[in-house]
Amino acid sequence: MELITSLFPWITNGPLIAVQVMSGLSVGMFLFLISVGMSLIFGVTRIVNLAHGSFYMVSAYFMVTLIEVMPERALSFWIALLLAPVGVAILGGVIEVTLLRRIYRRDPMMQLILTFGLILVIGTLVLLVWGPDNKSVPRPDALAGSVRIFGQPFPSYYLLVLGLSPLVAVGLWLVFYRTRWGMLVRAATVDREMLGALGVNVSRLYTQVFVFGSWLAGLGGALAAPTVAVALGMDADVLINAFVVVVIGGLGSFAGSLISALLVGELQSFGILIFPAVSIVLLFAIMAVVLIVRPWGLLGRPEE
Amino acid sequence: MWTRSTSAVWPMVALLGLTVAVGPAAAQGKQPIRIGEINSYSGVATVFTFPYKEGLAMATKEINDAGGVLGRPLEFIHRDDKLKPDEAVKAARELVLQEKVDFLAGCITSAVGLAISAYAKDAKVLYFATHCQTSRLTWDEGHRYVAHTTNNVNQYVRVVARKAASFPYKKWAHISPDYEYGQNLWEEFWAFLKHLRPDVQVVQQNWPKLGESDHSSYITALLQSGAEAFFSGLWGAQEIAFVKQARPFGLVEKLHYFTPAIGTPDELDPLGKEAPIGAITTTFPWYDEGVLARHPKLPEWNRKYTEWAKAHGVKDPQPKLGASWGYASAYIMAEAIKRARSTDPDKVIGVLSEGFEMEFPWGRVIMRGCDQQAIPPQWGGVVKMNKEGKPIVADIEEFHGKDIIKSCDEVAQLRAAAAAKKK
Repeated sequence: MELITSLFPWITNGPLIAVQVMSGLSVGMFLFLISVGMSLIFGVTRIVNLAHGSFYMVSAYFMVTLIEVMPERALSFWIALLLAPVGVAILGGVIEVTLLRRIYRRDPMMQLILTFGLILVIGTLVLLVWGPDNKSVPRPDALAGSVRIFGQPFPSYYLLVLGLSPLVAVGLWLVFYRTRWGMLVRAATVDREMLGALGVNVSRLYTQVFVFGSWLAGLGGALAAPTVAVALGMDADVLINAFVVVVIGGLGSFAGSLISALLVGELQSFGILIFPAVSIVLLFAIMAVVLIVRPWGLLGRPEE
Repeated sequence: MWTRSTSAVWPMVALLGLTVAVGPAAAQGKQPIRIGEINSYSGVATVFTFPYKEGLAMATKEINDAGGVLGRPLEFIHRDDKLKPDEAVKAARELVLQEKVDFLAGCITSAVGLAISAYAKDAKVLYFATHCQTSRLTWDEGHRYVAHTTNNVNQYVRVVARKAASFPYKKWAHISPDYEYGQNLWEEFWAFLKHLRPDVQVVQQNWPKLGESDHSSYITALLQSGAEAFFSGLWGAQEIAFVKQARPFGLVEKLHYFTPAIGTPDELDPLGKEAPIGAITTTFPWYDEGVLARHPKLPEWNRKYTEWAKAHGVKDPQPKLGASWGYASAYIMAEAIKRARSTDPDKVIGVLSEGFEMEFPWGRVIMRGCDQQAIPPQWGGVVKMNKEGKPIVADIEEFHGKDIIKSCDEVAQLRAAAAAKKK
């Protein structure tokens, strides 16, 4: 016991552990919001949408512009939070109908090239429209400060994230397990040919799923905007994290995304305390272990 | 079919005629001195490279309007490195072999700078590293075919360390991105602080990955570290994110914040009222009354650059450090060629290895002979709110790099150690 306390002096520090747990949770919830849309799109359309991070970035830039143009300070953040993801959903819809629809039956390599190309095109468009300078979205006044948790300060804005993400998770579950549309989507992940043969308009279903997945990326970007710098490059950073979470959780599994996002968030949070020097590889180490033990991810299905 | 193809041909012929007609006039009748400039002109680094490029272009225009260099106009041929060392080397090869440029220039990231430098050494082409900051360029990995026309890490990190040594803090922590530049920054800072104040100790270290978007866990770890002050090697968007995330935790009120990067308007302006008041940092204080009084030519340069930037569609036309670097780089290259009276690389290297000094609107820049490294003035200060509620760096203290930078003897030791390591 003495050895443990000398190696990890924080182990007896209850409040510190509590705050690390909470901050790990909020990291995990952000990861969940971003990765679940990517997982959903893959599960149904079998496309690894590399432009998912770009949708996240565009949503954050929408937040910047929406808040700038709205005169009313107190409400502008909340209105922007509603509108920005909708804008991204529309963008996703346009891209699905004009581009992705043409490549569902192509070689996966072609799909990767197209969605990778989208990263470059969207990145360049963002540079042209918003310029190279870093932007920032202020937190809404009501959530600018902190609350005390076990006597430790904790940012109140993260409470919004901690509250909203479980709502999204429950909402997703209700939609996919309690509605007819959700049932069709689940059926599409299992056998799309059969679904088409049964008279379901699979093409329309794909568009709807892609729009919904884009909306989720947009929600992640809009919610994250006040906690980061809105800048070029945020697409790549988030894409890697989302991709790792999706792979660990299992491509196409919502519950897998949730569990893996929380796992990654907490492991990162405590990894910093235990092995500060290697926190950079921790994320990938977890992914490697999962891929060795269960190549299809925690809750994914092995390919037949 | 016939009419269709001819209608397409005529505009092309017209266009060709136009380029032939315009070409010689633009070159002012003389063969230009051509410099291949490789930098990152797409993606994340454009926040720095766009102002830099405008500074470079403005200086080039001034030089050419005043008769050029050796009676010939100076011309930069730009290439995008996409932030990748191998792309940069590919561009360098193309510029040297096909475009037949006289010199190479450019770089924003250290990795790109080192890669072009290695190519230049092999190809025996003189390379002027401009915007990248690693001290390895001219020190550990230095050679006669590379010159560095701006600051290196050593100079500005030592400004922060000097400032740090003037406070009574003994227990230190840090947060730096885990890659070459972040490690270089922290090591240089700590070595110099330890030298100035042997009683300091590190109580906690944080190494987030470059581009990490969520720092909450590092922030709580810093809060619990027992440190009195901390150093940050973060920069750009990542540091903005860190500061925004640290604010609700009250981190910068509890631990004194020392960071070379936050003083740039690229970080302070977007942060606005969320800026970390009291942080000790470095900056390019073009707006500071004391600095303007000390450098009477600076107001005129500020006005000229702002007009230039506006005329060229720069979204944020205020003077920036990068713009001053681009401006100085063009003049330093021109001066070296002028003094050599030739574009022959060996003759220009001869001039560079003797060293020279130049006056700029913001003070004297020394091109030191022993390492072909630029030594400009440096400014340190404290982040404060001005009267309009905008964060700026105030209480400016001016240093000159020559009083801070490692000596030629120390550089020789570094080079010897690096050479021994290679064997």
